[in-house]
Amino acid sequence: MISRCLKRWAVPLAWLVLLLALATGGEWLEPLLRWSEPEARRVLYPQADLLTLLLRHLQVVAIASSLAVVIGVGAAILVTRPAGRDFLPLVAQVASMGQTFPPVAVLALAVPVLGFGTWPIIVALLLYGLLPIVRNTLAGLEGLDPGVEEAARGMGMGAAQRLWQVELPLAAPVILAGIRTSVTVNIATAALGATVGASNLGAPIIAGIVNGNTAYILQGALLIGLLALTVDSFFARLLSGRQ
Amino acid sequence: MLRREAPINRVVLTLMALVIWLWLPLGSIAPNRIMPGTAYPLAQAVGWPLAMVSCLPLLGLLAVAWRPTRSGYRVALALTLLMLAALPFWLALMAQQLLDPELPQARVGIGAAWWLMLFWLSLLLIELRTRLALAGWRLALSFVPVLAGWWLAGKGLESLALRQELEGRGEAFGEALIQHLLLVGGAVGMSLLLGAAIALAMRQSPRVERLGFALLNFLQTIPSLALFGLLLAPLAWLSARVDWLSALGVSGIGWAPAFLALLGYSLLPMVRNTFVALSGVEPGVLEAARGMGMSRGQVFRQVRLPLALPVVLEGVRITTVQAIGLTAVAALIGAGGLGTFIFQGLGQAAMDLVLLGALPILVMALAVDALLGALTRRLDHRSGQTTGTIG
Repeated sequence: MISRCLKRWAVPLAWLVLLLALATGGEWLEPLLRWSEPEARRVLYPQADLLTLLLRHLQVVAIASSLAVVIGVGAAILVTRPAGRDFLPLVAQVASMGQTFPPVAVLALAVPVLGFGTWPIIVALLLYGLLPIVRNTLAGLEGLDPGVEEAARGMGMGAAQRLWQVELPLAAPVILAGIRTSVTVNIATAALGATVGASNLGAPIIAGIVNGNTAYILQGALLIGLLALTVDSFFARLLSGRQ
Repeated sequence: MLRREAPINRVVLTLMALVIWLWLPLGSIAPNRIMPGTAYPLAQAVGWPLAMVSCLPLLGLLAVAWRPTRSGYRVALALTLLMLAALPFWLALMAQQLLDPELPQARVGIGAAWWLMLFWLSLLLIELRTRLALAGWRLALSFVPVLAGWWLAGKGLESLALRQELEGRGEAFGEALIQHLLLVGGAVGMSLLLGAAIALAMRQSPRVERLGFALLNFLQTIPSLALFGLLLAPLAWLSARVDWLSALGVSGIGWAPAFLALLGYSLLPMVRNTFVALSGVEPGVLEAARGMGMSRGQVFRQVRLPLALPVVLEGVRITTVQAIGLTAVAALIGAGGLGTFIFQGLGQAAMDLVLLGALPILVMALAVDALLGALTRRLDHRSGQTTGTIG
């Protein structure tokens, strides 16, 4: 049982181990980084512990994505009910507008209201990540076979029961795929937060650009890439397990 | 049931807009560029009588919201356009009433109520447009009174902070705008050419297809910030060793790494859409064209290309919107463009300067999205093909 479980989750776990190894003990990477930047005084990013930055990065993405899931799935459910159907075109429009807003611009506009730090990037990621979730939830709920709903109705299920026990479970794979796209894109975009003072994995990249140190940039980019791969492969397992 | 419940949502939304309009600050007055301003809600800014007048169209909308009929929507559209046209006048009035003539440096900042009202009215406009099925010249015509109102009000808004920032660096703004557009246009144009070539090569062999998509997907996962940074060192190295490159102005910082990174990001959506567009044409259609005696070249030019064009245009739209935002980030590596103002403003804590960079970027992205979206729908309509990737 355990071995089967391990086998199923082997790919995401492997990425996770590599990610943690890179975040905690970067020393063995030093010769490699040294090769990219032979003259620099130091090649390992010194400012803050990479593991802390990684956790903060993950935290920002987690907060923004959970909010996006609650708002996105909630709005999509609302406009597919009879009472809210009037607003379906509007919600679809707003969601697609959210992705048209460039994250940098949203980030910059959020700073006067929310101040420097973590909140502006959370708002920017929330807006940017909303579209895939709303689009997929709408597609999932609208794409259900009308016969299924008819059957559920025939069994005497109420509207809420139908939603929780029939519609959402059936639409779950499509919704999850939307969340996957949203989260993976946001992991990369979150690095922008470092430009307005959020301390996350974008910080080494900014420091690298400012000091002209490619090794710093490489560390930030590697960790973000590995984080994205870990989360993405985790979602891939989750999705394949459902089908 | 639908008829009775739907208007309630609308009424609630309108009431919320009313509360926001009266409660939140309309704008702020700051003595100079750096000092934080004092915020004033509408009633304090223009006085209660005028504030009441400004609410009249909102009350009208509230009344119309109870009757969702076609004539009701027409009235709602007229009221929305009226409020949009009047929006800058409230700021101008505020400036006239509250600005101290003794302080020439004093400036008016735009407050939350004003922005939210603008956003809410735009949403209303989008909704009414779909409901009334407005398109083409009738849509354009409805904007005439709004533009006229804004132009008229502009004269009374010399003290607007945004405008003062712009006047302080009029030339730099023009230059940054042109740089921004050149970078976006260059990257999108180049990626269209390269993307088409790659997509054509991919159609020749499945091996190239797999390899190409793997490579492009990998490129897309590198954070934009990192890709810009990672190109610095190799390009600096190249330009130091290759004379003609440095003569072209290629160096570690500046337009060259920005252009390359933008190109890298633009290729995936472009190649994907071109590839899908070229392979998505129904075999029966091609068969019929060949049966009519068309040559290979004719089939490509007269059948394949027109059918594929909407999907390719969709790729251009996605790529352009993405590139407009990414170019702003490129300011960090000295590529110029409107992002320069954003990062300068953030560094000086001068938020109006940030606004001067961010607002045009936002407007450009929305405009490109709307224009290319409309063009795609139009072509799609004409060729009578439904592709499913739109929207």
